[in-house]
Amino acid sequence: MSIKILLAGEGGQGIQTIAKSLSKSAVTAGFECSYIPSFGVEQRGTPSIAFLIIGRKEIRYPRFEKADYVIVLQKRAIKAIKSFVDEKTKIIFDSSTISAKALPETTAGLFGIPATKIAYEKMIPKVFNVLVLGKLTDVFNIDYDLAWSGVVASLGKKFQANKTIEEKNREAFDFGRHFVFEVANFTKPAYVPSTKQITTIGHHKKAEIIPARCKGCGICIAKCPVGALKYSDELGVYATPIPEVDLEKCIACGNCFRFCPDAAIKVEKTD
Amino acid sequence: MDKIMPTSWRASSKPHLFCPGCGHAIVLKQLGFLFDEMNISRNTTFGIDIGCSLLAWDFFDIDTVQTHHGRTTPTMVGFKTAKPTRTVLAYMGDGAAYAIGLQSIIHAAYRNDPVTVITVNNENYAMTGGQMSPETLVGTLTTTTPSGKPDNLGPGLRGPELISQVASSNAYIARASISNPIQMKLALKKAIENQMKNNAFSFLEILSICPTNWKTNAKDSFAKLNELEKYYSLGQIERKTDEKESK
Amino acid sequence: MNKLFLTGNEAAVLGAIDAGAKIMFGYPITPATEILQGWISKAEKNETLRYLQTEDEIAAGFGVVGAVLAGTKSFTASAGPGHILLQDPLAMAENLRIPFVGIMMQRGGPSTGTVNFSQQEVNLAAFGGNGDGLRIVYSAGSVAEMYEFTVKAFDVAWKYRFPTILLGDGYLGKAAMTVELDKLLAPVSSYPILKELKESTNLRNCYSSEADLSEVLSKNIKDWQKVAPKIAETEKFRLSDANEVIFAHGLVASACKDAILALRKQGRKIGLLRAKTLNPLKGSDFRLALSSVKRAFVIESSLNQFSRIVKYETAGIKTPIFEISKPAEGFTSEEIVTKITEGVWTK
Repeated sequence: MSIKILLAGEGGQGIQTIAKSLSKSAVTAGFECSYIPSFGVEQRGTPSIAFLIIGRKEIRYPRFEKADYVIVLQKRAIKAIKSFVDEKTKIIFDSSTISAKALPETTAGLFGIPATKIAYEKMIPKVFNVLVLGKLTDVFNIDYDLAWSGVVASLGKKFQANKTIEEKNREAFDFGRHFVFEVANFTKPAYVPSTKQITTIGHHKKAEIIPARCKGCGICIAKCPVGALKYSDELGVYATPIPEVDLEKCIACGNCFRFCPDAAIKVEKTD
Repeated sequence: MDKIMPTSWRASSKPHLFCPGCGHAIVLKQLGFLFDEMNISRNTTFGIDIGCSLLAWDFFDIDTVQTHHGRTTPTMVGFKTAKPTRTVLAYMGDGAAYAIGLQSIIHAAYRNDPVTVITVNNENYAMTGGQMSPETLVGTLTTTTPSGKPDNLGPGLRGPELISQVASSNAYIARASISNPIQMKLALKKAIENQMKNNAFSFLEILSICPTNWKTNAKDSFAKLNELEKYYSLGQIERKTDEKESK
Repeated sequence: MNKLFLTGNEAAVLGAIDAGAKIMFGYPITPATEILQGWISKAEKNETLRYLQTEDEIAAGFGVVGAVLAGTKSFTASAGPGHILLQDPLAMAENLRIPFVGIMMQRGGPSTGTVNFSQQEVNLAAFGGNGDGLRIVYSAGSVAEMYEFTVKAFDVAWKYRFPTILLGDGYLGKAAMTVELDKLLAPVSSYPILKELKESTNLRNCYSSEADLSEVLSKNIKDWQKVAPKIAETEKFRLSDANEVIFAHGLVASACKDAILALRKQGRKIGLLRAKTLNPLKGSDFRLALSSVKRAFVIESSLNQFSRIVKYETAGIKTPIFEISKPAEGFTSEEIVTKITEGVWTK
């Protein structure tokens, strides 16, 4: 019997790192394993999907029709996983970004973990995927040391470069591993992209920011000569933080507008 | 349609699929405003290559064709031969321009084909995951030079300088950078006008950034760009007048 | 109708002009070079005709693509190694349904081979590139057909929007022969594919998911299946009472006609089914012929490239098929007669 696991999220969320870590742990533990990402040409902006099969018998084909477990970490990825869900599929999801109502129907259970919320509020956003990974190692009964070795095998280089990174990831991993799934009364999906244009007026200036286009790249912040821009709590199209303008500091030089790759920000003088 | 976005940008394909912080999108935005200002959207054919440039296939409300890797220039040459009154752009990355498609650019320059070639140079093959390109400087880490590019694979190919060696005296050959979008837009304008007014060849390289494969944040991306500008000089390529021409 | 003394290459140029072609892109390569040169000399006297000698065949092929996108009938001519390079633009034409016309004068291969003759580019023409072979392929058996099939190629390409290749060969290209040409008029009109309308045309050939490409392929395949019966053509020569049949195409098939007349004199009831189109092949004619005879011969100047197509289309019919192949070498009719009479054909 092999377990068929499908992981899906936004490109850049670290889905493949989760899959790779699990696969390395499984292989070290002596299982037959197969892992393949599903990918289009885009590096970012389209769903990142991983097919993972773990079992005792030789695995001949790396993809499958229906998953035993689906792990979905971004609302935009739901469309991509729908066809792999049947009534036996257990769905694990990030309840802080996805509403349970948006998920496909299954009788095997919905399991929520508000990973984005926890990462943002208690840790740092970048460890979000390792938090989920921690919980998954518990779900699949992988011995702790074996599981962590999988993480190190995948992220080792980054850990070597910076000890703090390793500590933060470990913290997230441990937290996830001990987390108890929400099976009802799910966390409200609050970490969702804002949809409306944000207009701020003051100090003879008008700033417009469009969350539906902002990818949080930070170029406007880097290019502002007076430091009038910083990341806010609002989320943009990939559910990453978008900037906000301090109109008092702003000199309406036009840099943010000029440099923004997504035409998502503009500040103008109003007189 | 908000005024932050160029009118020539196709709204239905936004947010576009270029990575967060991609230099391509900065170029395409200024190009978009330029199309609006020059009012040439309806008379322009936009050819794009394979690589990250392929993501621009539905970017503009302008006739666009995505071709094969390195083949955008000859396709636009063919199109222009059939329709000399249209403005044609061949838009590509540094792999397309300086590796697989270099031969065709050199010959288009040599024949002074009236096409405008725009090359966005981010020093790597980005769409395939960040491999070395002819633009990669010695010492740079890429996925095919994991210990840093050695010094026996070329120091970094200076494309506009190379192409200017075979170009006609009325060709426009230059290098700009996204570090100065205003100057970049002026260069784009010159490159397009040289085709429209002088029926001559234009080649514009634009130095750019790739936060995804460079693994840099916004600030560090522009710092690295600054380093690239020291090796790849900005400005129009001055050329010696052909002795034969001055007789 | 007047009697002319023309080479196949010259006939192709006349065909392209009468078909309404306006631009030729090309790179010199034996035995197709005369097509480029012939076109250029016509263009020097006719300012509606244009041309570009490109830096290589890849640029020539993509030049054709560009001109066709602009709505102008355009073509290239090549052979052997150039035909290989043309698979790059042909694949794009196949995906995007671009009316690409190419005249390929087969020569010995693989590699640089010979400049002379073969029938070894059938695979390339029909199934080259990285698609499933939605290209129309004609095989010319005479100088007259180099004219006639060139015009046909432009017509079907612009009508049905599949890249279309006319296969000739070096002998046919370079042999000057007396010929009467039926002037073909009223060519199919061309139209811009990048439509230059207020609503822009945005074309891509790269898709992000299997499903997206599959949708395009399904439509293309459906269209292909619909038009295939309209395009597929054969010629039947002395077939009606035959109990043996030769399957052949191109110049080899023409030599077979002489061979059949000689064999008939010897009392053999043998006929010829000639494929005018190799792709789509008129399978129904081949199945009918094969079912009506006691044996069939496939005669070609390649190692079974044509035979493989025939066998695919006639699978299940028990009549034995004997392959007489001479890769990269021609057959005289005498040789065909000898091979058939001296061969041991019982199984």
